[in-house]
Amino acid sequence: MLNRKFEIFDGFKLFLPLMVATAPFGLLFGAVAAEKGLSTAELLMMSAFLFAGASQFVALDLWGYPLAYGAIILSVFAVNFRHLLYSASLGRKMGAFSGWQKLLAFALMVDPQWAAGEARAEERKGKGGLQPAFYFALALPLYCWWVFNTWIGSIFGAMVSNPEALGFDLILPIYFLGLTMSFRKRHNWLLVVMVSAVASITVYLTLGAPWHISLGGAAGILVAAIVGKPQAGEIASGK
Amino acid sequence: MESEVFFLIVILGLVTLATRAGGYLMILMFKTIHPRVEAALDAVPAAVLTTIVVPVAMTSGWKEALTIIASALIGLRFGIIGILLFGTCLIAGLRIVFG
Repeated sequence: MLNRKFEIFDGFKLFLPLMVATAPFGLLFGAVAAEKGLSTAELLMMSAFLFAGASQFVALDLWGYPLAYGAIILSVFAVNFRHLLYSASLGRKMGAFSGWQKLLAFALMVDPQWAAGEARAEERKGKGGLQPAFYFALALPLYCWWVFNTWIGSIFGAMVSNPEALGFDLILPIYFLGLTMSFRKRHNWLLVVMVSAVASITVYLTLGAPWHISLGGAAGILVAAIVGKPQAGEIASGK
Repeated sequence: MESEVFFLIVILGLVTLATRAGGYLMILMFKTIHPRVEAALDAVPAAVLTTIVVPVAMTSGWKEALTIIASALIGLRFGIIGILLFGTCLIAGLRIVFG
């Protein structure tokens, strides 16, 4: 049964750990941006329009005057490339979303948001699936929190000298790991994980970031397509 | 704000939105989804999330590697909040003890 209050509660509940995980990055972005000479209006606009941690850092890294348009746009595209996979996968589970809700949902689809959506759709399969109330109860606070932190970071830049001090930098990888584990009942999960792991570390050490994500992921996905038996029943073999 | 910067940020925002909605738009173009494509899409979460975690585990140092491996084992039994609590405490502890 659908209960909007529970959907909102469940979504917002995930915001709390992510609040701690994302704050250091937001603060750091604001601090570095201010140091690079971006005005408060400019860096807030970037956080509000892109809302993409990794791409914002990449853009910042190449920032300088005159602006290197081509290099910045291409790098942001490269870092964002993985999102094509996200929306292809999660878009199939947005049956409960209206057109505008889908557009807004995609605009706000940062990595933990997407992963939370996938996990939710899996968990509530046959019980209403992924609901807009759940999705936005996490997405909207995350968005405001990100923009707010970049602003604070630009003011108190020196405050965040060492985000690794306590282990905050590892919260996001651990979160993603936990979500990976939560998908372990899917077909060929272990095979996909092993192939992606080997491919991503190989690309990471050769071509370098950010391609290890798209190419490493593509390797695992390709293997899944090859070994995936046509019309395999989803119900039977849930080991 | 300089108009140059303004336009660049608008373009970057559109590029980001295009990649975030693009995969879905591509899927929409197909009337039916082939079972192999379906299998491929079902593998996306595990495949992509793995690629984010593995380089962190393998290139950051032994404390990080140990934390990721231990957290994965904890994940066999506990949910996401449990893994987060365990992993964060473990890495913080290891860094405090071993510097």
